[in-house]
Amino acid sequence: MPAPEVATKVRDAIIALKGADLKDPRLGEVLSLASQMSEAMQMFFSSIDRTLFDEMRYISSYIQRTRVEISNLRPNDLSEDRIPRAGAELHAVVQHTAEATNLIMAVAEDVMAADTSDPAAYQAFVSDKMMEIFEACTFQDITGQRIQKVVDTLTHIEQRLERFASVMGVEDAELEETLEDKRKRENLLNGPALNGPEVAQDDIDALFGTEGASMDQSDLDALFD
Amino acid sequence: MAVDMNAPILVVDDYQTMVRIIRNLLKQLGFENVDEASDGREALEKMRTKKYGLVISDWNMEPMTGYELLREVRADEILRPTPFIMVTAESKTENVIAAKKAGVNNYIVKPFNAQTLKAKVASVLGDF
Repeated sequence: MPAPEVATKVRDAIIALKGADLKDPRLGEVLSLASQMSEAMQMFFSSIDRTLFDEMRYISSYIQRTRVEISNLRPNDLSEDRIPRAGAELHAVVQHTAEATNLIMAVAEDVMAADTSDPAAYQAFVSDKMMEIFEACTFQDITGQRIQKVVDTLTHIEQRLERFASVMGVEDAELEETLEDKRKRENLLNGPALNGPEVAQDDIDALFGTEGASMDQSDLDALFD
Repeated sequence: MAVDMNAPILVVDDYQTMVRIIRNLLKQLGFENVDEASDGREALEKMRTKKYGLVISDWNMEPMTGYELLREVRADEILRPTPFIMVTAESKTENVIAAKKAGVNNYIVKPFNAQTLKAKVASVLGDF
């Protein structure tokens, strides 16, 4: 039963009691105090009900907005179509690249092992093998297109997530380090640098004294600059 | 002292293509006795059954990395003297320094060329 209704019932009961023929004047005082308290409680509960109602309305509209934003993310489209397709494209890239590399290397090995005793035959053989290398290199055009599709998918996901995070006011949570993260950190598994090696081979050579030069602390420090 | 061109060399990489490239380059340099392993654990098992004149290892492999292999080798009294070259795409300063501290003899950043491999092998084994 809502609080104002309870308060009304209590007040009605007090009025009924007041109307009755009561002999003890102290009971009248108690009823008067109870009446005042009932009115005060009614105001109190009314304010609480209004606040609760406002809160519930806000939560309801927030949930509705969240549903709209999640729907705009098109999660089913992402998980059932775009992401699997991107994975398949990357898999195909790896496969084509490996096939082409193996073919080129096999051709190179054939050329290196070829009989050079007959120059004309050797030249014809090498010429044929070079054509095979050219053919193998056509993979680059296809893989380029496949990778572009994956980039488009990632851009699409990035834009949707960015909008979602912005509209919902999402902030990044602190993540606990997983076992995989821990292994990567401990084994310094950073992967290839984006724009070529972070430390050039010449600097590494200096560190290892390949050219006969030793490396002192300042050279070592220079690696950290 | 002359380099023993028949001393077995262990190439450790999880990418068969890279193993094939290094094997071919070593062959061009005159090293025909080359074994392969696809990660640190397999390499360690091979090293415990056969004495290698040189280990050329990638860094990033599963389940045992080249960095872990290097530390295991340097911690093992018998394997410790084995020359060890790291060939890796890990090119951060911290990687190079960590490998140096762990006792690597030389470090090659991928992608590399034949001349670089030859120079590093020569720096470790001596001119050939």
